[in-house]
Amino acid sequence: MQRESSSGYITRAPRSSGLADVLEILLDRGLVIDAFVRVSLVGIELLTVDLRVVIASVDTYLRFAEAVNRLDLQQTGDAKGIPELFEKGGEEAAETKTKGAVEGGMDAIKERIGLGGRDDDDDDDEGSSGRRSRSRSRSNDR
Amino acid sequence: MSRLYLYGITRPRDVPARLAADGISLLTEDGRAAIISELDDEAGDVEATRRNLLAHADVVEQMHEDAVVLPARFGHVLDGPDEGLELLALPEIEQLLERHERTCELTLKGTYEETVLAEIGAELQPLRRAYRSAPSVDAGIALGEAVGEQLAARRARDEAQVLDALRPLIMDFASSQPAGEFAAFNLALLVERDRVAGVEEQLEKLSESLSPPLHFKLIGPLPPYSFVRLALPAAA
Repeated sequence: MQRESSSGYITRAPRSSGLADVLEILLDRGLVIDAFVRVSLVGIELLTVDLRVVIASVDTYLRFAEAVNRLDLQQTGDAKGIPELFEKGGEEAAETKTKGAVEGGMDAIKERIGLGGRDDDDDDDEGSSGRRSRSRSRSNDR
Repeated sequence: MSRLYLYGITRPRDVPARLAADGISLLTEDGRAAIISELDDEAGDVEATRRNLLAHADVVEQMHEDAVVLPARFGHVLDGPDEGLELLALPEIEQLLERHERTCELTLKGTYEETVLAEIGAELQPLRRAYRSAPSVDAGIALGEAVGEQLAARRARDEAQVLDALRPLIMDFASSQPAGEFAAFNLALLVERDRVAGVEEQLEKLSESLSPPLHFKLIGPLPPYSFVRLALPAAA
């Protein structure tokens, strides 16, 4: 579904794909017709908050500090083995950590809306009945 | 009377066979149509499961490929066909359909490479020295916070720059808070369908000039999820 641009800096996808996209693109968006429609939802607003609070934490700041510190080490060229360390611990690790942070949020979401740990495709026919949300709440009947 | 799940609103036409086989149909009234499926009365509320969310996205995005779709927010349930027909009769719905007849939404996410920290770090020498000479948690947090602030300033600057470059091509935009440490921005762009290629070209140019490189992720053409606000009087 995805393709890269010639420069490699643009990832292109024609449609949303996967839960991460869908949560971000569609979750709190779309036509809301209060007067006519009952919205039957489970704590959706909480979910989007969960995804975003992950960012500014002490943990993040310490990782930033470490990353900037690594740049110092690289520039001064002290300590043997640093280049290798940097290669391994640098971009790759940062990428992993970034993903880790976001996925941490995603895990929280999965847990909250009861999507379970199975990372399978859409052919799970047990459907929603087997996956109750813990924070489930009734819609407000009109 | 059976309840109906509402995916969105469109113009009357055939439902693609793949969706029809899944029970998706149109409730049509005078040039407007609600995209619906019947809900099992026993089923209770529609839950925000992965499966349900993906199904909602699939239906509105598939239907949007051929013609305008006003996507409903996930979770809308109509009490029955009458409620759907009443909804379709609203003048605001016709206005929105006309506004979005040829539009689509593109979502654009910008993400930095970790090398952004090298540029930022260059401006934070005193804090870095303090941290290196005495790497305490406090010194680390002070340095990290300063990095975070610089990153936030850079996000704002780069978002503005991207929007400036795209402004001639877009009808509207919505900005939301990006998720992720190296995320730069998260934009929803409303564009005419025939301008999508133009936006891609413009982004190619931008990505060459922005340093350190910003990675863009562009998704679409999508239905105008972020541009279908409707102001209706409260229920009687």
